[in-house]
Amino acid sequence: MVRENDYRICDLMVCVMARLICDGDTIFHGVSSHMPMIAVLLAKQMQARHAVHLNIPGGVDPAPVHLKKETSAGAELLEKSCAYFPLQEVFDLSMRGGLDVAFLSGIQFDRSGNVNASVIGDYHRPKVRMPGGAGSAVLIPTVKRAILWRTKHDKRTFVEKVDFVTTRGNIDRIVTPLCVFRYEAGCLELDTVHPGVSCEALQEQTGFPLDFSAVRRTPPPTQEELKRLRQIDPKDYRNLEFIK
Amino acid sequence: MDKLISLREAIASVADGSLVALGGNVLHRAPMAACMELARQGRRGLRLVKTAGAMDVDLLCMAGCVASVDAGFISYETEYSLASHYRRAVQEGRVAGNEHACYTVISALRAASAGIPFMPVKGLLYGDLPAVNDYFAEVTDPFSGQKLYAVRAIRPDVCIVHVQKAERNGNAGIQGPKFDDVLMSRASGRVIVTAETIVPDRYFARNGQDADIPHFLVEAVVHVPKGAAPCSCAGFYEIDRTALDAFKALKTEAELAAYLAVHGQDTYGRKGGGNGRWEW
Repeated sequence: MVRENDYRICDLMVCVMARLICDGDTIFHGVSSHMPMIAVLLAKQMQARHAVHLNIPGGVDPAPVHLKKETSAGAELLEKSCAYFPLQEVFDLSMRGGLDVAFLSGIQFDRSGNVNASVIGDYHRPKVRMPGGAGSAVLIPTVKRAILWRTKHDKRTFVEKVDFVTTRGNIDRIVTPLCVFRYEAGCLELDTVHPGVSCEALQEQTGFPLDFSAVRRTPPPTQEELKRLRQIDPKDYRNLEFIK
Repeated sequence: MDKLISLREAIASVADGSLVALGGNVLHRAPMAACMELARQGRRGLRLVKTAGAMDVDLLCMAGCVASVDAGFISYETEYSLASHYRRAVQEGRVAGNEHACYTVISALRAASAGIPFMPVKGLLYGDLPAVNDYFAEVTDPFSGQKLYAVRAIRPDVCIVHVQKAERNGNAGIQGPKFDDVLMSRASGRVIVTAETIVPDRYFARNGQDADIPHFLVEAVVHVPKGAAPCSCAGFYEIDRTALDAFKALKTEAELAAYLAVHGQDTYGRKGGGNGRWEW
C-alpha cells in the first residue's frame, strides 16, 4: 500500500507541470525534457484528455509504449502518432499565435523574468558556454504560456540579474524542487511552496527577496497521479535529472 | 547517373573552411560516419550549421576541424550531459559559438532555399542575442511599419545527410522524423547523402514512398551501413550507448585517432567490407 507521502520531488514537479495543462491546449516540449514529456502524457490521462502533444520528431499525440532513457526526441514519439507535424511547423504555429504551452528551461533566471541559457561572462569569449536556448528565444515571447522547469534551485540559478538575457516574455510558471514561481507584472512571485520546504530555507536558496505574504503550499501528488506516473514511466526516467 | 562513391572520396570534396550543414537532430540520424571522415581527413576551419547538435559537433570540435558553429542548441541529452569539447573550444576562443534560436537557423535556411537574402522572424523581440550577433538585424515591415528582426540567409556550401534509403542516382528517402534535412537539401549548394541501404533504381517510383530528396539536388551517394551510429537511425538501430560512452571518455588526440580508426567507416559493421558498393 502506497502512503500519501510516498513521493519524491521529481514526482511532485511532474504532477505540478501536468496540472498546469488545460484540456485542449497545444503543448510542445523539446530535447532533454523527460519531466515535461511525462507531465504531458500524465495530463492527457487526467484533466486534459484533449490536449495536443507536439514534439521535435513531429508526432502529434504519440502513445509511446516504451519511453527512451537517452532522449525525449526519439522516433518513438512519431511511431504511434496520428499526424506528422515537425519542429519547423511547431515554431510556425507559435509565431502565428496558435501554441498554448511550451516547456522550456534555462540555467539562470532573475526576478524580472529574464532567462539565460547562453553564456556566463562575455558572449564572444565566455567563461562558460552553455548549450544555448534552443527554441526559447522565439518561443518564450510568442507562446501563450511558457512553463519553465529547473531541477536546481540555488542562489546561482535564481539571481537578482542574469549574466546574459537569452530571452524573456510569456513565462507562466517556473517549477523548481522547492517551489513554483509565477510571473506577474514583470516580476517573479512565489506561487506555491512545496511541502516540507520552510520559508527561511527557500529564501536562503534564492538570490532575490521573496514575498511570502500570500503564499500557499503545493498540493502533493494524489494516489491517482502516482499510479498513472508509474504506468506511464515504469523505468523512472522522471528522476533522471536528479541522479546525474 | 550513378553517383555512388566511397566515403573518403565524397568527404574529400569538402574543402577547408566550408560552410557545412549537418542533418539529424541531437542524437538522432546525425551523419556521424561523414563527420568522423572529416576528422580523419583533418579538415580545418569548417563552419557548421545545425538546429540542435550533439556528438557530431562535439567530435568535430575535439578533432580541431571547426571554426564556428551556428546552432540553437549544442548538448547531449539529460544523462549524457554537456558537449564538453564544443564548450571548451568556445571558451578558449578556438571556435565561435554563434547562438541562434533553432527557428532562426530554420528561417535562415528557408531564406537560402527561396533565394532571398534574409527572413523576417517573429518572436526574437527581447534579449541580448540580436545585440551581440551580426546575423540578426531589426527591420521594419514596409506595409504596416511593425518592427521585427531579420535573420541573414545561411546558404551552406554543402549539406551532409544520412538517410535510410537511397538510389544510386541520388533519390533519397528518410524514414521516421525528417528533422531539418529536407530543408537543408534545398538550401545548400551541394548535397552529400550517406545511406544505410542502396535501393534498386526506380525504387521510389515503384514503391509507395516518394524520395524526400530528389536526385537532381544530390551530388554524391555513399553507402554507409551504421552511418549515423552511435546516434540512432529510425527503423534501423537505437543509440549505441557503448560507443557513445567510449567517445565521451576520450581525452587525447591519440585516443580520438584510435576511436576514428574503428568507428564510422563505410565498411562499418561489415566484415571484410569493400569499397562502399552494394550489388543488387
